[in-house]
Amino acid sequence: MAKYTLKRVAQGLITVLIVATIVFLLMRMLPTDYYFSEEQLMKLTEEQKNDQLRAAGLLDPIIVQLARFYRNILTLNFGTSRRIQSGVSVVKLIGTKFAVSMRLGAISLCISVVVGVLLGILQTVQKDHLGDHIVTAYTIFVNAVPHLVSYSLVLVFGALVLGFPATYSSRNNTALSCVLPVTCLCLTSIAGYALWTRRYMVDELNKDYIRLAKVKGLSNSQIMTRHVLRNAFVPLAQYLPQSFLLTISGSLLVERFFSVPGMGPLLTDAISRYDLDVVQTLVILYASLGVLGVFLGDVLMMLIDPRITLTGKGDTR
Amino acid sequence: MSSEVAKSLEGKTEDELFYFVPYSSEEAESIGYSDYSYWGSVFQNFKKKKSAVFMSGVFIFIFIMTFVALAIGKYDYSELVTNSSLAFTRPNGEFWFGTDNLGRDYWCQVWYAARISIMLAAIVALGECVLGVTIGLIWGYVRALDSFFTNLYNLINNVPMIIYMTLIALMVGQSFLIMAVSLIAFGWLGMARNVRNLVFMYRDREYNLASRCLGTSLLHILTKNIFPYLISVIILRLALSIPNTISLESTLSYLGLGLDVNTPSLGILLRNARSYFLQFPYLLIFPAVIVSLITVTFYLVGNAFSDAADPRNHR
Repeated sequence: MAKYTLKRVAQGLITVLIVATIVFLLMRMLPTDYYFSEEQLMKLTEEQKNDQLRAAGLLDPIIVQLARFYRNILTLNFGTSRRIQSGVSVVKLIGTKFAVSMRLGAISLCISVVVGVLLGILQTVQKDHLGDHIVTAYTIFVNAVPHLVSYSLVLVFGALVLGFPATYSSRNNTALSCVLPVTCLCLTSIAGYALWTRRYMVDELNKDYIRLAKVKGLSNSQIMTRHVLRNAFVPLAQYLPQSFLLTISGSLLVERFFSVPGMGPLLTDAISRYDLDVVQTLVILYASLGVLGVFLGDVLMMLIDPRITLTGKGDTR
Repeated sequence: MSSEVAKSLEGKTEDELFYFVPYSSEEAESIGYSDYSYWGSVFQNFKKKKSAVFMSGVFIFIFIMTFVALAIGKYDYSELVTNSSLAFTRPNGEFWFGTDNLGRDYWCQVWYAARISIMLAAIVALGECVLGVTIGLIWGYVRALDSFFTNLYNLINNVPMIIYMTLIALMVGQSFLIMAVSLIAFGWLGMARNVRNLVFMYRDREYNLASRCLGTSLLHILTKNIFPYLISVIILRLALSIPNTISLESTLSYLGLGLDVNTPSLGILLRNARSYFLQFPYLLIFPAVIVSLITVTFYLVGNAFSDAADPRNHR
């Protein structure tokens, strides 16, 4: 197991490094004009601009810049923000923002796993009856209609009919103002969990051991909870750690829509304002969490289902 | 069927049931045939699903409406003028969908946006499909190229798409064409991967081995031996990529990374209306209903058609 873990860690590090390098190179493809604000572009002369760029090391050959970038990563020096919050270190900047995103994300993840799996069970029990059809219609609606439209509908309905605050606020009524963003976040993921729970449970129901359990005289609810659900949950569990870790990145659309001061819009803002250190740190962070999440998912799957081994020959998926 | 046969056989003697057929040299030489036609069966199976047929009718109606509505509307999109005294007129006989915050007719904006969205989605879906299937077939069939494409896939797929879209919006600009090309450029990956996995399944089946031994050309194996197995999956992905593209476009446009502000697409309309639709819900309801009809229709019709296209579901 230790050897396997080491191998996975090494592979993950390589992936993160490659992603970081690509993003580094992509960002250097942007014209250096983006380094300056519009005001600066008007005022500064060419020489002044060149001086500033040289001071920031942006005129060095790309290889030199890349080497400096790697050295900074190795020494865990993630730099400072330039335009988002001028002069604040990137680590601190992320530190002030990620808690908001993570709280919203974690709450909605918990709600959607519980509700989604329960709906999936309802669908399996009521297969081809009313309950199944209603939830299927919901799943189709959520998957087909653009999120922007469904979020807008949630906003209008929630704010006009139910009277919830239309934007997030950290000062007054934080809990109430969280309701609509969390609803939006849950909307899609509930549909996902319900869909896959139903799929896996129906697959599981057709297996021979279920027939044996019926013959033995187990009640329907016992079969459902102890056998079907437990087996059907294994493939779902694989994605839980990843989903949880990536709640830190927030949802771009939801956070823009409800003006949540979270991580979601940070990446695009940083790119469009040429805040290189912020972009690079965020990409490294997300890529590492993604890789870590997949690994933890495999481990979790192994813990739930003892038949699965990671070190054996068989493919885990 | 079988009960009818059994009924017609009832009460017949053995001599009536079994008798010798006279020898016919013509019939002995003739070759049996089946009247099975692939696309014929597909349409027959599709027609059985009344809801899907109905929904395709709805879609065709909406599609025609995107042209008719602009023609019968009282205002032309290109001649819209801002008139603040008419701002936020609720729907009435003059402005059928009311007016937006600048007093412009909302009816023609909504239908124009619907047409833009459908056009973009159709172009992107077709482009993704052609590129994805071609590359997927090569990726899956030619072993030597497998690792190259796998690495390319990982390389592109590991960087968040929002980075690419932001960079494109900043460096190249924002227009219909740029949007279509960049969505295709990142959208073919999923299709190619799916096709590649299917090709892997069928590539080394015995019939393909036999076909290769008989000297069938690579192109022929790909198009005649393997491609038919992929049709139902490709149709499904094609149909689902239309709602996905509409969704992605609206999100990107809303964030300011998609189409330019002067092209009325769904995302742009909703972005403009975001601050107002709490007071004036009609600004949201009309585009929302139309786009939901389009996307849900494609979702359902795509699923039904893909089921019908799977030869395993044919009789």
